[in-house]
Formats: sequence, structure tokens, C-alpha cells
Amino acid sequence: MVIVFALVGLAFYLAQLHVSSEARRALQSDFQAELESLHQLEDLHNAALNERCRTLVTNPRIHAALEDNALDLLYPSAKDELRDLMQIDPVGPESKRVLRARFYRFLGSGGEVLSPPNKNEVGNLDPADERAIALKKLPVMQQVGYLPGNNSSRQGTDQILAIPIFSTETGEVISALVIGFKAVELPGDRNERSLTSGIWVGGNLDLPSLPKLAQNVTARKISDAVSRISRIEGNFMLTIDNGPHLLFYKWINQDSLYPAAYEVCIYPLTFYATWERRLRWKIVIGGLLVLVFAFAASDLIARGFARPVKELALVSEQEHRERQRAEAALETTNEELERTARYSADASHQLKSPVTVLRTGLESLLHRDDFKPEVYEELSILLHQTYRLTGVIDDLLLLARMDAGKLELQSVPVNLSAVVNEWLDDLSAMPDGADLKIDNQLSTELQVIGEKHYTSLIVQNLLENARKYNRSAGKIVIKARAQNGFVILSVGNTGRAIPESMQSHLFERFRRGTNSEKVSGHGLGLNLARELAQLHGGDLRLVGSESDWTEFEVRLRAAKDKIRRAAT
Amino acid sequence: MFFQRASVTGWILLILVRSIQSASVAEGQVDLPKSRSAPVVAKRYEIVTNGGILSTNPPLAIVYLDEKSGNSSFTAVKQVAQKNLAFVPSLLPVQVGTRVEFPNLDDTYHNIFSYSPAKRFDLGRYRRDEKPVPSQLFDKPGLVTLRCDIHDHMRGLILVLETSHFVVTDDQGHFRLTGLPSGHHVIKAWVDSKTTYEKPVELREGATAQINFP
Repeated sequence: MVIVFALVGLAFYLAQLHVSSEARRALQSDFQAELESLHQLEDLHNAALNERCRTLVTNPRIHAALEDNALDLLYPSAKDELRDLMQIDPVGPESKRVLRARFYRFLGSGGEVLSPPNKNEVGNLDPADERAIALKKLPVMQQVGYLPGNNSSRQGTDQILAIPIFSTETGEVISALVIGFKAVELPGDRNERSLTSGIWVGGNLDLPSLPKLAQNVTARKISDAVSRISRIEGNFMLTIDNGPHLLFYKWINQDSLYPAAYEVCIYPLTFYATWERRLRWKIVIGGLLVLVFAFAASDLIARGFARPVKELALVSEQEHRERQRAEAALETTNEELERTARYSADASHQLKSPVTVLRTGLESLLHRDDFKPEVYEELSILLHQTYRLTGVIDDLLLLARMDAGKLELQSVPVNLSAVVNEWLDDLSAMPDGADLKIDNQLSTELQVIGEKHYTSLIVQNLLENARKYNRSAGKIVIKARAQNGFVILSVGNTGRAIPESMQSHLFERFRRGTNSEKVSGHGLGLNLARELAQLHGGDLRLVGSESDWTEFEVRLRAAKDKIRRAAT
Repeated sequence: MFFQRASVTGWILLILVRSIQSASVAEGQVDLPKSRSAPVVAKRYEIVTNGGILSTNPPLAIVYLDEKSGNSSFTAVKQVAQKNLAFVPSLLPVQVGTRVEFPNLDDTYHNIFSYSPAKRFDLGRYRRDEKPVPSQLFDKPGLVTLRCDIHDHMRGLILVLETSHFVVTDDQGHFRLTGLPSGHHVIKAWVDSKTTYEKPVELREGATAQINFP
């Protein structure tokens, strides 16, 4: 929040600075434009004056008076020529009045003022003024000077032009015509936004729109600035009538033999300062409004954003709880499984030794010859049951190891044909195996990858099942084919088909077929075989069982270099 | 009628007197300044100024006898016309008492005036065919600079002399003054507004004196 406030505050401060500097630049360009137009006015004025004066100083009568030793005719000759320039029309428009001369004088060869015969005709000047317009020597170029008003005969500053008069005979300066005009001045209606201009010369400032006291103070400041800041031009801020003002001064008669005069322009900044203050307030108020609005808006938006997040949090909490429950259940199941597996393993070991003891006892009883023959038959059956029990225990032990994930395979190439042949030999030695027709279609070198013992167990299970569930004078067909890097061994046998209801439960533990009453077995064989096949990366499935033909096939990984041969 | 007859009689008398007096002759050459190639005022006008010196271009000189001579009630009429914005002739020697007419032969106004101490006058503006032809009587010796108030480049010179014995040289400076009185005299040669040579000469009747200036 604090950061947001700080950032927004900073942003508005920068914006205010930017706007402020823009405004200042605009103000300066305004100021420059006004100054420019003033200068243009002055240039026009000077150009008009120059043209007038140029024609005056080439006037043949004036030249004749100066060159033909007729100085007494100088002013009378000039009087006619300057008559229209001197005619002051006090009610005429200002634009016409500015081109009217207030006085004129000729300078002699030493730069001194040549006294006119009648001062009224050439404009009255005090002796002090006449000294001020005299020059130390005659100029070769036009000179511009300014003559401050003297508060008696002349009001306001006069601009004076001293125009050299060259002899048409010698080409040398023989005189100069000095003409005094009222200095260009902007209309004096000083308001809070307009530029006022005046002339500073010799420590006096003539700026009629300023009060006399302010003029004196300002004049001193300009004197100071001229001596300290720049002799050519400069500007500074000052306070007049408690209002800030920008003052600009410029040396307007450089290279003149007359004393330095400065044009002084004063631009009031009161309006600008007020405007800037107002702008600052506007920005502050606007900023606060924006801030409040932004907070309201952001709160709304945040609420909008928060709703789905809250819902999501709720949902995720529920899901989390459910997952925890599921994980707990899984943990329990896992523990149960492990316990079961451990139990199964323990049970197998605990069971094996009593069975061995039992079998040994039964065998020693069979070796006695003092029992009745029925007893021997019973003993023989019991002994057979101990073997069956050992088989069950072995299978259970193996399954338990598999369930616990403790069974480690050492895969090597195994000759499947040899394995099958070994078991077929055993099969034929079985009492009920004699009348079975065995059709072994395997080639001699059928190599698969696996652990020989378990591969053998799988084959044994399949062949024993084929024998056990066969009918008399039935047959067993053993085939093999290669498929995608696997060897598929199929074992088919004649005999009653497995009912369809049974087929889906065939591979579950302790399941036996419905026709299994007279068949030995414990219902772990197919389950064990399938799990072993899967452990080897293969599978075991029932291909089909219908009307005197049941066929299983097991998929085992082929040893690579033997595949081709196995397929043939 | 009477005045007319008197005037005619005067003329005849004058001619007689001259024929008697003009026994002596002075001739020679005035060393004229070089023709100025870059005059201050445009070249085509004959009176030029250079360093404040008025002279003609090409240079001419006026050779005259430096003494008061002739009739004090002498009157003659000469002309300095304004043609092509120039005075023609640009240099005119006259005897005191000569009236000079200034006819305007241009199609524009001229305003001939002079502020020279020898003669100040101002004829005002006038056009061609102004009648009577504006004129001035030159009654004081001296150099008179003619100016036009309208055309500030126009310059003309009238040299007002107290003698009737004067002549303008040719552009080589050769001159011949005839009908001079015998005796000891001073002959002057006006070359420009700042240069006048003078030489004493002993004139004998019927003889020709050779004078070269300077």
C-alpha cells in the first residue's frame, strides 16, 4: 500500500514536473515570439529611418552648404528637407508618430554640435543634451544611441541616429546628421500577461509602464547584471509589485560611439505562477481521485479474482483430504500385502519341515514288513500326499517371493526345445502318459531369454495340465512360432473343454476346473506359470477351449540370434 | 530704340578698341594633369572631383590675364545648358558682369543652384522650354560651383574673372591669347579648384610671348 502510494505520488510528481517544464517552455516560446515581433517592429522602424536618413545625407543642398563653405545655409537647407520628418502630429496614430523626429543637429568636423540659428525649428535640446549627442570624432558608420529623457523639455527616451555625411568631393566625412526619434515602445497597457519593454541607458531605465520606484530598483539590478552576468545580453527573475517577473536585457547599440544602451523586456510571471499553482492543485486532486478510484477498482477486481481462488482452495483442500485418505488406505493395503507375503513365506518354511518329517516317517513305516497289505496301500497314499503337499508349499513359497518382489531373475539364453523334450520324456514315463500321442513340432534349437529353472516350471505346468486334463488315447500338440522378437509356444491337448464361466477365473490362485475332481493338483500351477511368464516379460493365455481341444500359449522373449531358426 | 542703337554703337567701339590693343599675343602650353580614369563621380560627367578638387575631365585649363580690365559696365550673355543630366559646357570662364543663361535641354526637371561665396542663387525647378530662360548675373569674381538640387551628381563650374583676356586650352593644354596689352603682366592658368599657376610676362607689341605652365 505504502509502495503503491509512493509510486503514484512519484508518478504525479514527475508528471507535474513535466507539465511544468512544458509550460515553462511554452511560456519562453511565447516570450520569444513577442520579443521577435517587437524586434521586427523595431527593424522596420530602423529600416524606414535609415532610408529617410540616407536620402537626407546625400541631399545636394546640404552637401553644397557643407562643401561650398556655406554653413549659414546648412540648417535652412536642411529645414526644408526635414520639414516632413519634424512635423509632429500629436493627434495622429502612434505608428506615424514613431517616424517623426523630435530633433536634429549637424556635427562639425570635430564631432561637435553645429549650433542651429533657430532652435525651435530643429527641436529644443538642453545644453546637456547637446553635449550628450556630440561625438568625440565624426563617425564613418551610422551610430545608434539613446538619450534618456530629462523630465523637463523631453519626456521619455529618444533614439538617436548619427549618420555620417561624406563629401562628394573628397569622399571624407565632413559632417554627421544626428536625428532624435522617440524610441519604440510597446503600448503601455500593462496587464498580467503582456510583455513590456523599455530602454536602459547610463543607469536609467525608461519603462513607463512601471512605477517610478520599481524603475529605479530594476535599473540598479540591470546595472548589476550587465557588470556581473553579461555585457551583451542576459535574463534574470525579479519581483515587481510582489509578482514574479522575467527580465531580459540586450545590448542594442554594440559598436556604437554612444554609451551602451540595453533593450529591457519584462514578462510578468504572475499569471504563469498562478496557473502553475492551479495546475499543481489540479494534479494533486486529480491524483487523489485517481488513487481512490484505483483502490476501489482494484478491490473489486481483487474480489473477482479471489472468488475462484477461494473455491479452488476449498476444492483442493477436499482433494487433499481425499488423497490423504487414499494414501493412508494404500499404505494399509501395502502393509497388509507385505504382511501377507511375509506370512506366506513364513508359512511355507514353517510348513516344509513338518512335511519332511511326515514323509520320512511314512517312508520308514513302508519299509517295515509287519503290517497288513491294506496298511501299505494307505501308507503309500499318505506318502503321495506328502509329495503333493511339498509341491504346494514350493509353489506357495515361489508365489510369496514373487508377491514380495524378492524374486530376482538371472536371464540367460535357454534352449526351450531341450526343456520341452526333458519334460516330454518325464511325461511319457508317467503311468497315464503311455497312451497319449505327443506331437512335438518344435525345431531342435529354440532359444529364449530367461532363467532356466522358471522357464522349465512354466513348460512343466503347461505339459502337466495337458496330460492331466487329457482323455484316454488323446493327444498333445506342441508348436512354436516367432513374433516381434518373441517365441510363442503353444500347447494343445484333447479332452473336455473348460466351461466358459471358468475360463475367466482360470488363472486365479487355488482355482481348478470343474472336471478336476479326479485330477491331481492344487490350483496354483496356471497362476504360477502366468506370473512367471509375465516376470520374464512375456505372458500366458488361453487360446481357446472347446469340444475336445484346449490350447494355451506362452510368450517368451526370443534370444536374438536364434529367432530366424526358431521361426522355421 | 535708343538703347538698341547705343548697344550697337558700343559693340563697334569695342571691336575698334580691341583691334588697336591686340598687338600682343601670348601662347604656350599648360601641363595638364593626367586624365582621371576613376573619378569619384561617374565618368560620363565632365566635372569630376578628386580629393575635393573640381576639374574637368578630360582636363582643361583656363589661361587668363590677371588684372582688372575692360569696361565695368560690361555685359555679356553666355549659356550653360543642362543636357543629358550634365552641364554643357562644364567649365565656363566669364568676365564679371556676364549674365549666364541655364537652358534645360533635358526632358526632366532641373533645379540649378549654387552655394558658392562668389554667387549664391537658386533657380528653382524648371522644365525644358522654360521662358524666359532662367539666368544669373555673375558680378563677383571667383569660382562658382553649379549643382542641381534634383540630380546630386551634376556639377558645373563657372570661373568669374575680372579680365576680358582669357581662353580655355585645348585638351593638350595649348592656348593662344591674342589682343593682349603690351607691358608687364601676370598671366595665370587655372587648372582645377585648388591649382592656379601664374607667371609674369613682358608683352611687346606685335610680338608673341611663349609661356608654358608650370
